[in-house]
Amino acid sequence: MAPNTSKSGKSTPKVSQKLNSVEKIFIKYRRCDSPQTWWIVFGVVCLLTAATRFYKVGEPEHVVWDETHFGKFGSWYINRTFFFDVHPPLGKMLIGAFGYLTGYDGMFPFVKPGDSYEGVSYLGMRVCCTAMGACLVPFAFIIVWEMTFSLPAATLAASLILFDVGLLTLTQYILLDPILLFFIMGSVVGIVKFHAQREKPFSISWWAWLCFTGSMLSGSVSTKFVGLFVVIYVGLHTIKSLWDLYGDLNNSLTYVAKHFLARALGLIVLPVVLYFVYFYIHLTVLCKSGNGDGFYSSAFQSQLEGNSLYNASMPLELAYGAEISLKNARTGGGYLHSHIHLYPEGSGARQQQITTYSHKDFNNKWLVKKWNEEPGDWEDDDPVELVKNGDLIRLEHVPTGRNLHSHREPSPVTKRHHQVTGYGENGMGDVNDVWRVEVVNGEEEEVVKTVVHKLRFVHYLVGCALMSHNKQLPKWGFEQMEVTCNPNVHDLNNLWNIEENVFPKLPNSSFEIYGPNFVEKFLESHTVMFQGNSGLKPKEGEITSQPWQWPINFKGQHFSGGKPRIYLLGNPVVFWGNLVALVCYFTLCTWNSFQIKRGYSISPNVRARRDKTLEACGWLVLAWGLHYLPFYAMGRILYFHHYFPALLFSSMLTGVILDYLLESLPSMVPQYLSSSVYPWLTGLFYSTLIYSFYLFAPLAYGMHNLDPSFENSTVHQIRWLDSWEF
Amino acid sequence: MDTGVRNRKNKSSPEAEKAIKGKIEEITSVDNHNMLKESIEKLKHLNENINRDSGDGESAPDTPPPETAPEDSLTTPSPTTTTPSTTTTTPSTTRTTESTTKPSVTQKSSARQKSKNAAKSAAAAPPLELSLRLDGMSVFLFVLAFITRIWKLETPKGIVFDELHYGKYASLYMQNTFFFDSQPPLGKQLIALAAYIAGFDGNFKFDRIGTPYDPVVPVSAMRIVPAFFGSLLMPTVYNTMVELGLSHYTGALAAFLMIFDNAVLAQSRFILMEGILMFFGVFGLLCILKFRRFYHQPYSVPWFVCLIIGAASLSACVCVRYFGIFTFLLGLGILTRDFWMMVGDRLVSERQLLGHFLTRAVIFITIPVALYIGCFYVHLSLLYKAGPNDNIMTSAFQASLEGGLASIIANQPVKVVHGSQITLRHTHGRTCWLHSHDAVYPVKYPDGRGSSHQQQVTCYSYKDVNNWWIVKKPEVEELVVTEPHEPIKNGDLVQLVHGLTSRALNSHDVAAGMSPHNQEVAAYIDYNVSMPAQTTWRVEILNSELSDGYWHAVESQIRLIHVNSSQALKFSGRQLPDWGFRQHEVVTDKVLDQEDTIWNVEEHRYTRTEDKKEREKDLLRSEMIPMERKNLTFWNKLFELQYKMLFNNQENVAGHMYASEPLDWLFLKRGVAYWISANSNAQVHFIGNIVTWLSGTLSLVAYLGLFVLYLLRRQRACYDLPEDSWNKFCTFGEVLGIGYAVHYIPYFLVDRTLFLHHYMPAYIFKLCMLAAMIEHGHYLVSQHFKAPRIAKLYLGAVGVWMVSIVYVFWFFAPVTYGTTDLTADQVMSMAWRETWDLIIHKQ
Repeated sequence: MAPNTSKSGKSTPKVSQKLNSVEKIFIKYRRCDSPQTWWIVFGVVCLLTAATRFYKVGEPEHVVWDETHFGKFGSWYINRTFFFDVHPPLGKMLIGAFGYLTGYDGMFPFVKPGDSYEGVSYLGMRVCCTAMGACLVPFAFIIVWEMTFSLPAATLAASLILFDVGLLTLTQYILLDPILLFFIMGSVVGIVKFHAQREKPFSISWWAWLCFTGSMLSGSVSTKFVGLFVVIYVGLHTIKSLWDLYGDLNNSLTYVAKHFLARALGLIVLPVVLYFVYFYIHLTVLCKSGNGDGFYSSAFQSQLEGNSLYNASMPLELAYGAEISLKNARTGGGYLHSHIHLYPEGSGARQQQITTYSHKDFNNKWLVKKWNEEPGDWEDDDPVELVKNGDLIRLEHVPTGRNLHSHREPSPVTKRHHQVTGYGENGMGDVNDVWRVEVVNGEEEEVVKTVVHKLRFVHYLVGCALMSHNKQLPKWGFEQMEVTCNPNVHDLNNLWNIEENVFPKLPNSSFEIYGPNFVEKFLESHTVMFQGNSGLKPKEGEITSQPWQWPINFKGQHFSGGKPRIYLLGNPVVFWGNLVALVCYFTLCTWNSFQIKRGYSISPNVRARRDKTLEACGWLVLAWGLHYLPFYAMGRILYFHHYFPALLFSSMLTGVILDYLLESLPSMVPQYLSSSVYPWLTGLFYSTLIYSFYLFAPLAYGMHNLDPSFENSTVHQIRWLDSWEF
Repeated sequence: MDTGVRNRKNKSSPEAEKAIKGKIEEITSVDNHNMLKESIEKLKHLNENINRDSGDGESAPDTPPPETAPEDSLTTPSPTTTTPSTTTTTPSTTRTTESTTKPSVTQKSSARQKSKNAAKSAAAAPPLELSLRLDGMSVFLFVLAFITRIWKLETPKGIVFDELHYGKYASLYMQNTFFFDSQPPLGKQLIALAAYIAGFDGNFKFDRIGTPYDPVVPVSAMRIVPAFFGSLLMPTVYNTMVELGLSHYTGALAAFLMIFDNAVLAQSRFILMEGILMFFGVFGLLCILKFRRFYHQPYSVPWFVCLIIGAASLSACVCVRYFGIFTFLLGLGILTRDFWMMVGDRLVSERQLLGHFLTRAVIFITIPVALYIGCFYVHLSLLYKAGPNDNIMTSAFQASLEGGLASIIANQPVKVVHGSQITLRHTHGRTCWLHSHDAVYPVKYPDGRGSSHQQQVTCYSYKDVNNWWIVKKPEVEELVVTEPHEPIKNGDLVQLVHGLTSRALNSHDVAAGMSPHNQEVAAYIDYNVSMPAQTTWRVEILNSELSDGYWHAVESQIRLIHVNSSQALKFSGRQLPDWGFRQHEVVTDKVLDQEDTIWNVEEHRYTRTEDKKEREKDLLRSEMIPMERKNLTFWNKLFELQYKMLFNNQENVAGHMYASEPLDWLFLKRGVAYWISANSNAQVHFIGNIVTWLSGTLSLVAYLGLFVLYLLRRQRACYDLPEDSWNKFCTFGEVLGIGYAVHYIPYFLVDRTLFLHHYMPAYIFKLCMLAAMIEHGHYLVSQHFKAPRIAKLYLGAVGVWMVSIVYVFWFFAPVTYGTTDLTADQVMSMAWRETWDLIIHKQ
């Protein structure tokens, strides 16, 4: 990646007659006219990065913060145990792979933060994650270079990222964040590099960068869903470049179409395929039953080794007289259950309780009966009659002989719904026991099938549908889940499926063939993930981090409470500097458009330089906004570390703006100062930055033996804001 | 006004195409020479764009909507049979005619009266001639809408849907009783005003939907307010469409669609807010759009009138519902855009620009703020009595209301001293009091952790004798008020002794039951198990400057800092399971500065007797020592109310039977049952006119599709539309399309139960877009493809379509008006979609 040394639009600094050697170096640095200079600077940045990132990477030697989750997930990949998590699998798979390759055996339980790693080879996973995190600095360097062709800007941007304590902390552990940040920055590197190849379309390097971008995009989405923001960014960037190509009347439409198709291939088809591949690996590797089973449907579970449904065989079709168990089809739904206890006084009729229960139990068995015939009426040699979509049936609770019943009484917890009870004796009840079976999206007269069909039980007289949700009954109901009859028939909680089906007269068939294929499993995993994600809501009274706090570095996050203490907090110089730079950008932008709108004459030199800076900044601000603003609209629980993708872009923006200001300064100060002001300011900036890094580094590397209450301790002195709680 | 109008360059009449020359001359009259040259060159260069009428974007400061020339209306299609007697218009004249035709006693109309006077005085001044002509179409639309709205206004004579709330609020206004609602009060006040004038005394219990009204309730007076505003909406929409450069017929078509939409009708027939909300919103936008006309007469009377009324109407919209903020922002956006165009006008100097900017800023800051605070001032000064749901407010606020808490604590001492008996209320968030009772924490929790097994301390949401605590100084032994009093100051150490069990409030390094990362709080029992008492707390008074550093009952907000661990007493928000009687957990937390650590004394009295038995009796009785109290100021009350309204997450009715998702709204997936008669199938079901509804959605898609198509073609230098048509296409898209988006998309981010009626503001924009697209379609057929026969056919199709709309309206009218008894079959015949859950409860 030899740098392009053309520097269009960069004002040539006034070269005075006598130059001392320092100033010469600075001029060389600012002009960057040889690849050699570029490589030297880049090399220095990389060396410093490696030094800061890998210093004390093994400390603390215990589980830090969310390592307890991601380390555990890594172990599960190694053990091939199925689990449920709200994030897509790539990041965790990588962690698992890192562990596997560096000799971790997957046996460490990762119970809670603070557990000691004694004798566990955790270092491999940490080093690999850290290495991915370390790539951010050179990535930033390349991005800014490609956007501005200014070496000082690239260095400034890279050093702002290099010397941010928060990023250092976040990328040193076994977490998804270093991986996610790596892919996000990688995508942006890809797109700017790809843009740089625009003069030679369809060349090998052009295709290579296109595919690189595509695979990085798929990586970021398959690590966490917030990776979608960078996809939008790349999408907008691509639309812009296509729009320009299309608007150039010299290009024929077929040529534009070729460009469009190539990009669609590299940036849409390739990532989608990769995304599927990651999920395919995920679902193939995890083939043993684990603690995530309950979140998935019966059909899904039947494919997990060790699950009770695995290799089970039972009749596929439902016949009258069969004994079945019914599972609520929502995520984590329980089995329809009843027991000999009655509803207490004051909660509707005093009849037998109906609940859902998450465990398999004898009390989950129900007998399917016709609406007008008792099982005793049948002769043994009567032909088997199958239950069809739309049939009227009754369900009798096998152990107690009571029918599933509902009537117009309010439910115990959800008062708007009707109460569901067990009624009657030995299967003799009344007309309120009749339910209509509906197969979702089923044909008329279609036979009801075990596991594969989603069913709705609509009460024949009231017209409400049997429902269960995760609201618990009070103590009298043994804190099992409430079952009601929901007047809103189309509620998604109204769906049930038959899990067990015992009927000797029908041949058993194995469910393997009816198990979901990859696409169905893929889709189901996604619905479950989205439900899980939207379920992460803050509880009443819980303190959550709020987006407005992030850019001002208002509050950090405890990473490790033991010794040494680790506290995730941004370098305030970087954070607050970024805010100033944002204000500068918006001022400059407004002022510039005002000048243009009013038709001021601006010298072409200044105009060109400004346009270049503003264009680069525009893209960076867009990326910052895309990675920051959507959090305001999110209802889920938020943490400080969600800001770090946005921080990267904000820091790069600061680099570009700072470079612009520094370059503009010499023309604003008196003549005799103009040659020395640049080196001085640059020096001042870097020394401030490095000093602040030195001050706050203990937060990342670990605070040893420091008693925070001790007035004179270093920790006490750097506690600039009261809200920082270290 | 005339001078300004003459300066306009773009008459949108198609005849204009003929004369570029004449157009250039017109430009000469206004623009400077250089601009002219540029324009000429451009005009020559792009000879497809004969119609391009102004220079480049920089010389024409804004693209004002075309004047309404009479020829215009002759060439445009005629969808209705009525010929409008045209035209002209300052906002005030139109309004005036209406307010005189329909006299009504609302605040708004008096304001309009004033603006009429202002307009008249302006008319007297020679250069600003205002023609006060009657806009027949506006009047016609208003009358038609009003008739449809007030027909059988009294029926159904029972509480319809949210009338439950708004009617109740009106009755509480009548009785001056405080109530809490998370929406601002203007709309409710308008309804209450009507009820007041009609002589309602508030003596009706709005207990549930369907309850028949007593004759004392002036139902029609209350319902006429939304009906009136809902009818005014029609002429406003009509004028807005005209202002956007669309023809009069299109404007009338938009209003027609709205009049014959069952959803708009239902929403403006009952005591609901949408009718009022939509009127204020659209009227504000109309003023902002009219404001463009006076570009060349800055600081003239109509210029100010438009700006001020626009600002007032838009902020009134916010004062009806917070959601109106989106309409407000839309108006502000249009204003900013126009201002930015003005920045490009080099005839305006920079000083003038600054002046313009400041004027707009001042008007758009002072008027909304004044109106907003004003309606809250009325709100708080009317509601001075304590009511049933005021315990969401802090003790200080409650104490400032007449009756209720104020009467309980009226004579209690102010200064908390050693020996005071107090109840400690959790100040913000959930209302509950620090509580303890004769039950201990379980020895082991289900997850295996152990507890201290000491007496539970909880936060209890009801008043109870177990909420009483006695304040004790650690160094003083006897539990009575000493003479002289020893008042507690900010920073003093105290112990809190539970009144009935005499155990002291304690905390220690034991994980709390539900929040293991916090410390448990217990009432100390000496078990002799090396768990020493840590019962000293430091009182930190947050607003100590109000009370000279002394701890005052009610008004002082305090934090109790546990001395041994430096943690603060906190309401954790979690509920204890059955062993804690489902009360709320209290813990200590090392993060001091948070809302849940703030407490205040609510009830307070001095302990007079040392004997424990006597003291308990004392607690069960209540004896007060008279002392004086002071009231909260308006500002304090306003701030607290605001805070609670914006940040109080009211418990949601999750899974309401008729709730719907924003995506369902696009295709009218389901309606809302508003009311059902007790003894027949007569019912009010809130459902839109499906024909309009789906056509509207289609028109949005069509607009988006066409826009992208035009844009793609333009990028390749194919200019399908002449410049003025393209500008027109963009202008109405800008206002209507963006208007639709800002009123619709936010709902995807809202995390609460939504109903179809939340869609109504966006729906208005959709209907306008539909009318505009029909005009555009006609334009394409007749002008672009030059196919007069197809154009006639097109008009015929539109006519048939309109007839079908009226038919569907008529078909569903029974469930919109709710006046007719229906048979089960009739109801069934209306359930056109499976998901429309109309109610049949009588066979």
